[in-house]
Amino acid sequence: MGFTTAENYAAVKQGRSMLEGYPAGTMDLPEAFTASLFHWDEVEMTDGCTPFESIVIQSVGRALAQTTIDVSSDRLLFILSTTKGNVHLLDSRSPRFPEERVLLGEAAATVARHFGFRRQPLVVSNACISGLSAQITAMRLLESGACDIAVVCGADIQSRFIISGFGSFKALSPMECRPFDIERLGLNLGEAAATIIYTRSETQGEKGQWQAVSGAVRNDAFHISGPSPKGEGSYRAIRAAMGDTAPDELAFINVHGTSTMYNDEMESAAIDRAGLIDIPVNSLKGYYGHTMGAAGVLETILSMAAVDDSTIIGTRGYEELGVSHKVKLSAQNTPTTKQTFLKLLSGFGGCNAAMVFRRS
Amino acid sequence: MEELVLELKKQIIEVLNLEDVQPEDIENDAPLFGEGLGLDSIDALELIVMMEKSYGIKIKDPSAGKEIFKSINTMAEFVKANRTK
Amino acid sequence: MTTKQWVKITPESVEVSGKTLATTNCGAALLTEVYRAHVNDYPKFFKMDELSKLGFLATELLLQAEGERHSESDDRAIILFGRNGSLVCDRKYQQTIERRDDFFPSPSIFVYTLPNIVTGEIAIRNHYYGETAFYAMAHCDEQLIRQTIEASFLDPATQSVICGWVDCESDQQFEANVKLIYKE
Repeated sequence: MGFTTAENYAAVKQGRSMLEGYPAGTMDLPEAFTASLFHWDEVEMTDGCTPFESIVIQSVGRALAQTTIDVSSDRLLFILSTTKGNVHLLDSRSPRFPEERVLLGEAAATVARHFGFRRQPLVVSNACISGLSAQITAMRLLESGACDIAVVCGADIQSRFIISGFGSFKALSPMECRPFDIERLGLNLGEAAATIIYTRSETQGEKGQWQAVSGAVRNDAFHISGPSPKGEGSYRAIRAAMGDTAPDELAFINVHGTSTMYNDEMESAAIDRAGLIDIPVNSLKGYYGHTMGAAGVLETILSMAAVDDSTIIGTRGYEELGVSHKVKLSAQNTPTTKQTFLKLLSGFGGCNAAMVFRRS
Repeated sequence: MEELVLELKKQIIEVLNLEDVQPEDIENDAPLFGEGLGLDSIDALELIVMMEKSYGIKIKDPSAGKEIFKSINTMAEFVKANRTK
Repeated sequence: MTTKQWVKITPESVEVSGKTLATTNCGAALLTEVYRAHVNDYPKFFKMDELSKLGFLATELLLQAEGERHSESDDRAIILFGRNGSLVCDRKYQQTIERRDDFFPSPSIFVYTLPNIVTGEIAIRNHYYGETAFYAMAHCDEQLIRQTIEASFLDPATQSVICGWVDCESDQQFEANVKLIYKE
């Protein structure tokens, strides 16, 4: 939907989306599907790089351009959040690249070489919570002094591999997804790359500066693909992340909200258990689909932009509540004066993440 | 029918990686999910794939699987009635 | 940080806190042998991909050496690192979709095409509600691994971590170097 935060936020605020129906035969897949995919002719590709590496380079490059960071410092750590990276290279239909590029660490190293980063990158591959898992990792490595700058990029592209896989789980909706709605049928897949650059905050932030306050990852210990019906891991992650933050400080909770029967129901249970049932809730999956490794970073950036704009973005695709705990969703954008939000994600492997962000 | 029942048992054991289970351990009428073999949601999805691959039967709605995969007998009845391979 | 137990598994041998286990097989057969001899009460083992089997077994031996499971807690994190991630399983899944005229994507294989699933399997087996994570690296960078584990204790809930290198290059080529580390 755009190549800058401003472009993306403006589109989302207007209720726009790149979710499109793709016919059977797309990517040589047998069934039609709805997804949010890049129009690759509009994306600047880097020579010798795969589409995945190119969007990471685009995103990281634009983020770095807004700073005066010395990229060759060995105090800089590049953290890449991705679930499948260059997995499309396993398909005989894909253009040929050196075999090791299908390894996540090698894809990240290719990007690092492009920018001249000195340290070996760290790749977070923690299913769909990777984007928050990576930011939590960045926070901790900064706090412990292991680095002074953490460039966190979350990215994933779609492929026959991923689309067929979710299809085999019957998790996809043929239409545009409807998070938390009574008629939701499943999720849409999406592609994105999003970057946040983290530094340590030595002093109280200037007005308008954003801080990651706290974060936690917890496991359901229930099932490798289905979420715990009681939202055990999500609830524990919320409790741990909220810490001293009072519920009424929250402008909203930006949930995972993938629009599957199980996920949305589970998140509503976790939010209720955590005593946050009265806090406005929204999901951004109706704008971008599920962007997997990018989701945690992309949705955090958009949530920050929304708070900067004193707005709670409406949940696109939502009309009528279809979960058993009465969480507060709206299809419309609504105003807010609060400066803090809670971000949630859940993923395969039973993992759940929660982070609190505050604008000073 | 006997042949189909045995074939189904062998296929289930293979497709679902039930390493320590023999065909004679599976009773024709016993529930496959919950108790019995203790199969779960991923197993149910894998059985849907098996139906298409081995018998040419497409099950579009995963919730339909609950009745079809209740026991070996219900599976065999379903295959007999719907197979295209 | 204190390392209490450690386990090393290669295609030829298994060591638990310095003691080599008696084994006769190699490669994938070694993992099955170790499962049969030292675990043998978890049929779901045979549904796992090679990476999950490797991580699961290494952790089972680690916890057996420790003597007690410490279940139903969220103060134990599971943080693993590797180079190949789920690649062995990725290739297996790709085979189920490669040909348009033999297109049968397998959900039970697809679910393991994420390297963090091994951490989920360990959490489920032991009822661990703590943090779980998987990190991929091009090369085993001991310093970065140590820094990441040290930093994981900044989560005030975390008192111990099952951590280390768990990597599967093929069915027959793999390596696990897993430790149980306590905060104090």
